[in-house]
Amino acid sequence: MILNILLSAFFGGTDSFTIVTSLLYMVGLWKMFEKSGVRGWWAFVPGAREYQLSRCAGRESEGRGWSITAVAMTVSAVVSQIVVPTSNSEYVSATDIVMMTVDLALAVTQLVFAIRVYSGLIEVYGVRRRWMWLWVLPTSCIVACVWGFSKKFQPAWKVEDIRAEMARLASHGSATVMDEGLTVNLEERSATEFFQKKVLLRDIHMAIPQGHMVLLLGGSGAGKTTYLNAINGYEKAKAEVMLNGNNMYTQYRKMQYEVGFVPQTEMMRGKDTVLNTLLDAAKLRLPKEVTPAQRRDRVNEVMEIFGLLPVQNNLVEKLSGGQKKRLSISMEFISNPSLFILDEPDSGLDGVMARELFEQLRKIADTGKIVIVITHTPDRVIDLFDDVIVLAKDSARTGRLAFYGSIEDARKFFGRDRMEEIVKAVNRREEGGDGLADEFVMKYAEVQHV
Amino acid sequence: MSETVANRKKSRLQIRYRGRSAQVWIYLGKMLRMFIYQNDWKVLPMAALIAGLVGMVIRTRLFVTMEGTLMGAFALVMVCIWNGCFNSIQVICRERDVIKREHRSGMHISSYIRAHMIYQALLCLLQTAVTIYITLMVGVKYEGPGLVTPFLIVDFGISMFLIAYASDMLALWISSLSKSTTTAMTIMPFVLIFQLVFSGGMMSLPAWTNSITPLTISNPALKVLATQSNYNSRPVMTVWNTLNGMKDREVSATVTLGQAMDLLQKEDNPFISDFRAMELSGSITVGNLLDGVAESPEVQAHREDSHTFTSTVGGIVDMIGADRVKDLLQNGIAEASQIPDYEYTTENVVEYWLRLILFVIVFAALSIITLEFIDRDRR
Repeated sequence: MILNILLSAFFGGTDSFTIVTSLLYMVGLWKMFEKSGVRGWWAFVPGAREYQLSRCAGRESEGRGWSITAVAMTVSAVVSQIVVPTSNSEYVSATDIVMMTVDLALAVTQLVFAIRVYSGLIEVYGVRRRWMWLWVLPTSCIVACVWGFSKKFQPAWKVEDIRAEMARLASHGSATVMDEGLTVNLEERSATEFFQKKVLLRDIHMAIPQGHMVLLLGGSGAGKTTYLNAINGYEKAKAEVMLNGNNMYTQYRKMQYEVGFVPQTEMMRGKDTVLNTLLDAAKLRLPKEVTPAQRRDRVNEVMEIFGLLPVQNNLVEKLSGGQKKRLSISMEFISNPSLFILDEPDSGLDGVMARELFEQLRKIADTGKIVIVITHTPDRVIDLFDDVIVLAKDSARTGRLAFYGSIEDARKFFGRDRMEEIVKAVNRREEGGDGLADEFVMKYAEVQHV
Repeated sequence: MSETVANRKKSRLQIRYRGRSAQVWIYLGKMLRMFIYQNDWKVLPMAALIAGLVGMVIRTRLFVTMEGTLMGAFALVMVCIWNGCFNSIQVICRERDVIKREHRSGMHISSYIRAHMIYQALLCLLQTAVTIYITLMVGVKYEGPGLVTPFLIVDFGISMFLIAYASDMLALWISSLSKSTTTAMTIMPFVLIFQLVFSGGMMSLPAWTNSITPLTISNPALKVLATQSNYNSRPVMTVWNTLNGMKDREVSATVTLGQAMDLLQKEDNPFISDFRAMELSGSITVGNLLDGVAESPEVQAHREDSHTFTSTVGGIVDMIGADRVKDLLQNGIAEASQIPDYEYTTENVVEYWLRLILFVIVFAALSIITLEFIDRDRR
């Protein structure tokens, strides 16, 4: 009984054919893992091998699903060994029906995930798509051995040894905390995905004075939004973030009213009117002691600043793209925050409207607030910014600080006039960039140390 | 105002913002506006339509017979569950991004859910009123006193409200779990089927489901409506109706004289004992006569002789007495079909109401706990 349970858990069955084919499959995967730079012994761990194979295929999200269903299948196989049929009736028992239904659902789910991962493997190994049949059919053990042992089959790339890369690129520094302004000393922002730690951001130190309008640049996946979430305390990092002498993390509940975060998409109720949306935002964000009349005055003031008075009784869904953006900004501006963060506020706006919007943001910064903006078309409004932060994804795929300083200094540092060229310089080659992220990260670290 | 805002800069951390209870009213106001603008009002005519369709089917059966009462109660339970579930299945997932943004701006999840609880309670109350009104209009008679209140219609209304409200909170929880409306609407049929199958009242279930059945809203829901409908005291009509439908069918039987005489001497059979007790003249009864005939040598000599009788079902019923047969089938079988859980007592009704209220509290609490993790959503 115990032997059967162990065999079921490890090989997914107790018959000799299943055991032999599973063993061959594992051995084949072991060699394939080694080719891709993954530790070979993962091939012998049920549930984990599927995820590791997906890493080799560059399909990690599918691998997670496959792994979970594989573990569930293993549990089901073990349970079927433990639960002995008790009914001698000619009918199948209810327990058996449930088990069969669950097994069928799991098998179909597992097959779908497996096909997606094998599809990725076929791309990585650069072979014909007809190999898929051999992977899906019970011949997978043979394919795994052939691909694992044959020198003819080599993956196009390896799973990077992230830890080694991170150690190579690690740099340390700190920014002096200012009484007025934003000071960020971020050591690390990491996330654990499927038992695997991923460092999203590392070593970012800067001090932004009040009244500065700052451009946040970086390629796709460089960690711009993660960085913004980390500095406003929404997603905490291993960091110290001080705004006007107050710690954003330890005093988050109260400091959250000091930060206005305008998301990339308009997260507003389309069926509510502009006026009601702002009045509710005011009730939520303004102090308790503000009277309804004062609240109404503030709403009117904000609507006037952002040109929303003529459409105050319109439903949000009926507004134009630019009006929606302005309403979204107004909702945050209503509490007059010290730090104003905007994630691509100009997306979907034409050049003229975008310019008008950024001019309004400049005016807000001129009242002594810090305004940090992410935009993918910075050059048309670059004259409005004081500073630029450049984030880049290093070879360990971690977001790093490649530069923080004035616009002019950035041009000199990167040797490029336009901001979009700077982004291209630090972007990875497979993303159409120049792949110089590591170089600039190191260079900036050296400059800071000097 | 701008000066007020500017002046409070230094002491901003000491400023107090709206607390949990105050925020409830902000969101309740928003939801009431959505009732008009977001077409949430459509659930009311939808409830009327469903009530009308179901009412037409159950109007002649509910409160009349056992089978009709159980079927009617089950149909009303399903109407309430349907109404409740569809009130809130999309309300959270459709504005998940908005909730995330507002949570980050200081919104308390418990306030948001409490506002939903109040709003959904109002919605369920209106739907219950609509359902009862429509079923009344199509001919369902909620007559007589209730077990808890003086009126059956009020007792029924409270039960239907609680069933709809508990289902509403279940759907609210599913909505808070789901990342999109598509996911929520995919889960919904499974919830309805689960409630339908595992209510434990309409179909016999295997023993292993005994622990699952109490977890369904439909279980206490069916029990409370069956109790309030006085299920246990209703007659069973199916067998009598079936027999009536077969009254012209011919039946024949071949029996020996001995078998017939033995049958006519069975005192423990109520029909035969009544028949035997019938007086013929003076103190002589049918039983005395039959006993005498059975003992006679002529009959004894022919005990093994067989005879074939042919008659119709109606003929046999008439021979026994149609009223007697009807009474036996309706009340005798009904007595055997009584279910303790449906016993017409106030304690039963209160217990089932409390179970439904418990569902409301549990699902609302689960919704709050689930939504507290909304910040962990992947971007």
